[in-house]
Amino acid sequence: MKRTFLIVGLALISLPLLGAAPVAKIQAMLAKPKILCGRFDQTKQLAGIKKPLVSNGRFCAAADKGVLWRNLKPFPSTLRLTRDEIVQLQGERVTLHLDAKKEPAVRMIHSVLFASLTGDLGQIEKLFEIEGSASADRWSVALKARAPSLAKTIGNIALEGGAYVKQITLNDASGDRTTIVFSEIQVGDAAMTTEEAALF
Amino acid sequence: MSRRNVLAWIWALVVVLLLAHNATLWFWQRIVPDTDLLALLPVEERDPMRQFAFTRITDALQQRLVVLVGAAGWTRASRAADAYGAVLARHPEQFQVADSVTDQVQRDWLASFQTHRLTLLTPQDEAALRTQPKEYWVDLALNKLYSPFAGVSPGAWRDDPFGLFSAWVQARAQETPVRPRDGKLFVGDEQRRYVVLPLTLRAPAFSMSAQQAVPPLLEQAREAAKRAGPDVDLVTVGVVLHAAAASAQASREMSMIGIGSIVGIALLTWFAFRSLKPIAWIMLSIGIGCLGALSVSWLVFGRIHLLTLVFGATLIGVAQDYGIYFLCNWFAKDSQLDSWQLLRRLFPALLLAVVTTVIGYMALALTPFPGLRQMALFSAVGLVFAWLTVVVWFPVLVRFNALKEPLTACGYAAASARWPLLRFDRRTSLAAVLFLAFVVFGLSRLGVRDDIRSLQTPPKKLLDDQIQASKLLDAPAPAQFFIVRGATAEVVLEREELLKQRLDPLIEKNLIGGYQALSNWVPSSRTQAARRALVEEKLFSDDGALAALMVRLGENTRWVRTTRDRLLASPSPLKLDDFLKSPAGEPWRHLWLGSVEGQYASVVALRGLGAAGLPVLPPLAAGLDGVQWVDKVGEISSLLGRYRRYMGWVVLFSYGAVFGLLYPRYRGRSWRALAPAALASIATLALLGSAGQNLQLFHVLALMLLLGIGVDYGIFIQERAGRRDHAAWLAVSLSAMSTLLSFGLLSLSKTPALQAFGVTMLIGIAAVWLVAPCLGRDETEKE
Repeated sequence: MKRTFLIVGLALISLPLLGAAPVAKIQAMLAKPKILCGRFDQTKQLAGIKKPLVSNGRFCAAADKGVLWRNLKPFPSTLRLTRDEIVQLQGERVTLHLDAKKEPAVRMIHSVLFASLTGDLGQIEKLFEIEGSASADRWSVALKARAPSLAKTIGNIALEGGAYVKQITLNDASGDRTTIVFSEIQVGDAAMTTEEAALF
Repeated sequence: MSRRNVLAWIWALVVVLLLAHNATLWFWQRIVPDTDLLALLPVEERDPMRQFAFTRITDALQQRLVVLVGAAGWTRASRAADAYGAVLARHPEQFQVADSVTDQVQRDWLASFQTHRLTLLTPQDEAALRTQPKEYWVDLALNKLYSPFAGVSPGAWRDDPFGLFSAWVQARAQETPVRPRDGKLFVGDEQRRYVVLPLTLRAPAFSMSAQQAVPPLLEQAREAAKRAGPDVDLVTVGVVLHAAAASAQASREMSMIGIGSIVGIALLTWFAFRSLKPIAWIMLSIGIGCLGALSVSWLVFGRIHLLTLVFGATLIGVAQDYGIYFLCNWFAKDSQLDSWQLLRRLFPALLLAVVTTVIGYMALALTPFPGLRQMALFSAVGLVFAWLTVVVWFPVLVRFNALKEPLTACGYAAASARWPLLRFDRRTSLAAVLFLAFVVFGLSRLGVRDDIRSLQTPPKKLLDDQIQASKLLDAPAPAQFFIVRGATAEVVLEREELLKQRLDPLIEKNLIGGYQALSNWVPSSRTQAARRALVEEKLFSDDGALAALMVRLGENTRWVRTTRDRLLASPSPLKLDDFLKSPAGEPWRHLWLGSVEGQYASVVALRGLGAAGLPVLPPLAAGLDGVQWVDKVGEISSLLGRYRRYMGWVVLFSYGAVFGLLYPRYRGRSWRALAPAALASIATLALLGSAGQNLQLFHVLALMLLLGIGVDYGIFIQERAGRRDHAAWLAVSLSAMSTLLSFGLLSLSKTPALQAFGVTMLIGIAAVWLVAPCLGRDETEKE
């Protein structure tokens, strides 16, 4: 049960990532803006499905609000994560709703996510062992969950970036492989479109 | 040897037997009084299943102790919990600490259901399967596929493409806010994080050994935990803590009432008679009364409740009445009368007095509360033994010239001459009008309250912890639930499912938080079959959602076939027995009542039940076969109410009966013996009303006893034709003072029921004491 949410949380944590063996160096490299928006391109290779599943959309992470993950193609859907709830919308329809009052993991996911947004490596390191390397303007790390069950389910996570996270690769135990590439990154109040602001 | 001496010797033999029996009980059998408050509550006789369900649930709770160790952060809470656990781990003879929640346990938990995933659906998804078009499911599957957070489901996408099983797991997870975290159990609110430590007691919660050993150990552990940080706090809940608090309180009160009364009576007797001998005699009669009460109660019930002893301690103040009456008359008697002649003269009054008081106590036995029956028998037997001691031994013990009439007593008794007498004059009329006005005012303000809480109020700290823990843990109500029965386990599950359909709307309306039912975990076979058919038709048929999904994913029919075969290859239906035996079923075993008298039954427990939800629940059972609403709290409260009214009538009829008893002896004067108790009762009710008190069963029961004891005083006053009799006045005063003392001390009890009883008796006896002499006959009426 908790595992379910750790997985969500974990995936979210990975977004604007930081944390590596040279933790301080990477942390210094990261811009850590209050609001961060951009485009993502995702490719998923699933066991049991021949063709890779390709999708793209926009994401926003706002320190005082939460995370907005909007899939635009091949079909629109929105995931919103705040301190009090996780909501998934498909058009007008709510397909997933988790209330922090009923599901305590919501808050935990949120706090872990924001620890990573604000560069609180202490939080990340509680859950993951961090290994990696950094050059002057690039870094890459591999995360391994400390809890064996978590590690077993989510497998390996690899992150690359500079001032911002540029790519996430997830290799899970069942053989599924997900690659997310971030681009067109904007920061500050202007980064968020009015449409996105309304969705929060 | 005269016949009288034979009687005295026989009584001596009885007393020796009593002593021997008591010695065996206390020193050899080492009996311990009950402290279980539930033992005081009536047993459900009409319906064994209801009683069984209630016992089952309370038994499940009884041995449990839950400790929440909290701090602002998880790490510190976790460290504090380790310190706490370390202390308890040193005492494996007292506590069984739950195993830590390993990953393996979690994996096994999930695996045990995963094989049955096809039939484990939430009610919402089941409804959606019936109503939504296949596009709905295709969209859902695609969404899941493209989501970067694929791990939302507990397994690979192809094992649960439509997210039905993960929704079910999610719903089950939400039956409790407690989550495994780092091998511990975690629960939290906005501010604080708590480690949940479930403990099981090894010794029965109501045993003295547990009650004495456990609280100090918990305190020690608490201190250890507190050292982990200044912001560490602990919330502890467990029946054993309530039991320990209740028995410590009862023991304190018992000694307070017992010692207080003894000392008071000794002093009163000393002031009245200025001699040690009367004190010794009175104590002798009281002592034999108490020994007899204990022996007989033990022989009849095979147990004795601590609250019986608390209440029984008031016996001391009542049992001395007969001895005092005898002694007071001894002074006033003509000097040529010997003690046997005196007894012969006093005997009718003594007999009436004991009979009326025993009637008063026996009224308690008319209620279905085992605790009250015990108290009734204990007190009545005690009185009878004290009375027999007076009647059989006092004439032998109290010899000629053994006592001189003491000055104090004379002086005090002389004061009675100035006591007002009621006559048909202006003063009496004025008093009557004032009294009437007061009664009307008081009674008009008298409300009623039949609350189970009158039986016990635990210390505030325990209550606060209880409230906080049930809020944090979202625990189900222990005394309100549904019982579902049927001829087979399958029928029970089917009926549960019908009930749940009626409960679901209440969750939407926030009237209840949720429910715990075995059918949440193991649907009935009928439902499992129906769901399987439904899933096969809507999702896996040739034009179902999976086929439509194939097109969107660019796969072929072979893909559909493999995926479908994989999903449909689930084993035989989930069976209740298997679930109950599995580790996953362990936390829910108490919901299954098994087979009682050829019927199977289960409990559907409710979470988040508030005052708003309570009235809507009982009607839900209407029209559902085998479904029954149980509200133990409401049941006891309504029982208290019913018996309050019933006992009210018993009191009224008892006045009639006592009048009948008195009539042959006092004829036209009978009302004078009865009136003080009656007036005192009315005055007590009026005073309670004026003070804003609400009437409850225990007030009414006390009124019954007030009749029993109040009439004694009336009898003593009426007894001597030479009215305004010093002896009678002195006897009544001494009796009243000692009774006031005993019940005054009882009115300090922290148990609301005993307190109500004590207060009523305190006011009532005081009023009888004041009123009784007013109804003595006027000198001028003398024959």
